[in-house]
Amino acid sequence: MLVFVIPILFLVLVGILLLILKQVPEKSAILTGLGIGMTFIIGLTFTMLIPSFNENWSQNTAKDASRYHAIYLRSDVEKADRDGTVPPLYKGDTNVEFGKLVGYTAQQERGRRVYQREGCMYCHSQQIRPLKGEIARYSIGTSVVPVADEREYIWDQPHFLGTRRIGPDLSREGGKYSDDWHYSHFYYPRQMVNGSIMPAFTWLFDDTDKSNPVPNKDARDLVSYVQTLGFYRKVYDQSLNGGKGGWRPWLKPQDQQYTQNIGEGQVLRIDPKINDGKGALIRGGDQLSPTNKVPPGGTL
Amino acid sequence: MRMQPAAETDKLQHEDLAAKWALWAGVGYIVFFGVLGLIASVKFLVPDLFNGVNWLSWPRIRPVHVQGMIFGWALPVFMAMFYYMVPRLCGTKLWNEKLGIITTLVWSTGVALMVLGVLNPMDTTSPWWSTKGKEYEEWPVVSSIFLIVAWVMLTVNIWSTFVRRTYKQMYVALWYVMGCLMWTSFVYVIGNWPSQLFPANSFMGLNDANVNWFYGHSVVGLIATPAALATAYYFLPKSANAPLYSHKLSLIGFWTLGSIYIWNGAHHMIYGPIPYWLQTVATIFSFLLFVPVLSAVTNFFGTVRGEWHQLRSNVPLKFIVAGTVFYLLVSTQGSFQALRSLNAVTHFTDWVIGHSHMAMFGFVTFYAFAGCYYAVPRMYKRPLYSEGMADWHFWLSFVGFILFSTALWIGGFNQGIEWNNPNLTFISTVNDMKPFWHVRAGGAALMVIGLFIFAWNLFKTATAPTITPGTDGGDGIDELDNSSRTPSSLLSRV
Repeated sequence: MLVFVIPILFLVLVGILLLILKQVPEKSAILTGLGIGMTFIIGLTFTMLIPSFNENWSQNTAKDASRYHAIYLRSDVEKADRDGTVPPLYKGDTNVEFGKLVGYTAQQERGRRVYQREGCMYCHSQQIRPLKGEIARYSIGTSVVPVADEREYIWDQPHFLGTRRIGPDLSREGGKYSDDWHYSHFYYPRQMVNGSIMPAFTWLFDDTDKSNPVPNKDARDLVSYVQTLGFYRKVYDQSLNGGKGGWRPWLKPQDQQYTQNIGEGQVLRIDPKINDGKGALIRGGDQLSPTNKVPPGGTL
Repeated sequence: MRMQPAAETDKLQHEDLAAKWALWAGVGYIVFFGVLGLIASVKFLVPDLFNGVNWLSWPRIRPVHVQGMIFGWALPVFMAMFYYMVPRLCGTKLWNEKLGIITTLVWSTGVALMVLGVLNPMDTTSPWWSTKGKEYEEWPVVSSIFLIVAWVMLTVNIWSTFVRRTYKQMYVALWYVMGCLMWTSFVYVIGNWPSQLFPANSFMGLNDANVNWFYGHSVVGLIATPAALATAYYFLPKSANAPLYSHKLSLIGFWTLGSIYIWNGAHHMIYGPIPYWLQTVATIFSFLLFVPVLSAVTNFFGTVRGEWHQLRSNVPLKFIVAGTVFYLLVSTQGSFQALRSLNAVTHFTDWVIGHSHMAMFGFVTFYAFAGCYYAVPRMYKRPLYSEGMADWHFWLSFVGFILFSTALWIGGFNQGIEWNNPNLTFISTVNDMKPFWHVRAGGAALMVIGLFIFAWNLFKTATAPTITPGTDGGDGIDELDNSSRTPSSLLSRV
């Protein structure tokens, strides 16, 4: 309803304004009024009345259209967390299980501050949009990635939604790689992903011994935060509970591909001059198997 | 409508001290932040550039470049334009020149603190001194305080001038100046509210994102745009020496700008986790933006009608006309980008970077350049040091920008299409962008060379041997100096 009410109210306001200014007999005013009406109709047509424009990329639009949004303060979230409840963000949305809300530990909260200070959100978004190509891209193996949900963000202050993907989306990064992979990658990204243009965050390491850099507190906090990203997101799985269905973490254990242990608290370090990325123990990048497609019907 | 006899206002001698101080703050900052932007663009090609220097890592340079260009360059130079044109449009002197100088000092200190806090060589995470971590809202709390204080001082100064005006009629540029002063105050305070310091009652998650993008879009729409339009509405008729096409049309543009722009923030999160209806509202209002844009653009082109031959030699006019073309293009592009079908491809890509540079460079900065080239010779009562250099500056900026943005649009759109093909790894789509990033860095280099020429030209103009005083109308400058013109002379062909 609001979609229609707000612009109509707006048009009425403009009309009143025009009357007050006594500019209605002015030719330019009439043209402008016509322009307002025409652009409104064009915008409405493109966005709402021609759904096929959106079907091309979108997973679904009908369900989302009924969403409303409530304002949550941190105190509300904390109360819901104490009570073990999840605040209903969807109208009439009572049968959606999401898992218990998990706030950040002190270390993870510190990691968020490092993430913020280093500006990770300028190159990495934290939202999977409900688009087919995007779901296919960020799925791993047979684990189909769930799209972004409002409730995932309620602990975030500041938010790290992001507007740019110079690097890939990170909202499902938790659990995908080992801590050691992340340390090696932060120390020198190009030894893990050939061609990466990510900065090397060497100041997060004590590298007085260049052959054996050791992550400092900032790096450990940062990685502990990165490992929470999307880690608690659950999806419905029909095969659980003997065919009755149930909820499980979205990333299946067998799809956590990059868990090779490099060494406790150590960083794999290869001289960038002689290394073109092939020398690394683990190749990064979003490796997708050919079977990794959106299932028919696009259900999650 | 003349309230004062012309003879009296003709005697007004504007000191323009406040305008000069604000101008030099802006010119100094655009060179600095332009070089930072160039470093950022080179880092796409040489990611190991300055390796290990934490305060020169790309994600720290990037917000400093963006915020610096808006608050370090655009707003100081528009302040200078306000100090220059408001007294002339009001037929009175600036209320307090000294206050204007202090305003610039406080403002520049705030910008410098922002640079320190976001580049953050001390690696602090305190919200008082370091970034607040939201795009466009990076301002450390300490630097925000300086900016707010300076803005209040500017508002007091301009309004005090305004209430002492001797011309009763308010020319449209004054409307936009007033609008900019009002809107900036509330947009900046809402956007930079330090919610980290009051976590118990702060907005969380997506509410935070909504406020963020209300602010992020309003920075361009309600701060930079009205300031730029005020400049253009004053300097276009002045430099073309032609009356404004339609004053009433410009007022329609003013009111629709104020009422439409604030709805647009959500179009930065189309298909995101925010409510669907909010995205749709933002899309529709993005289309409604055609109204204020077309009213301004129609007005500007209507004003230049019959004066196109001046484009060959008139540098300020050249910048304003190019800026108007870019204004039309960037707004059209912005409206269509808000459509879900296009946004699905272009969102998150470099397309958007090309778009935002067209707004801040092609539109806002070109208008500011025009204002500088028109106003600086009149502030210093000397002819411009070199028209040829100004021409070079124009063409370097123009060609550099076209290279810059076209490369990003083509490359960004291509990358968006590639992302929808899950058989391509992410890193291969990054590698496909690299040729476009080379062209972008080349365009950026041309733009920065233009900036150095611009700054040098203005510097030589200001420091040229003084022309002997008492030459009102004698040196060819004051002949063009319309400081004694009434606003009504902007509105009708004499």
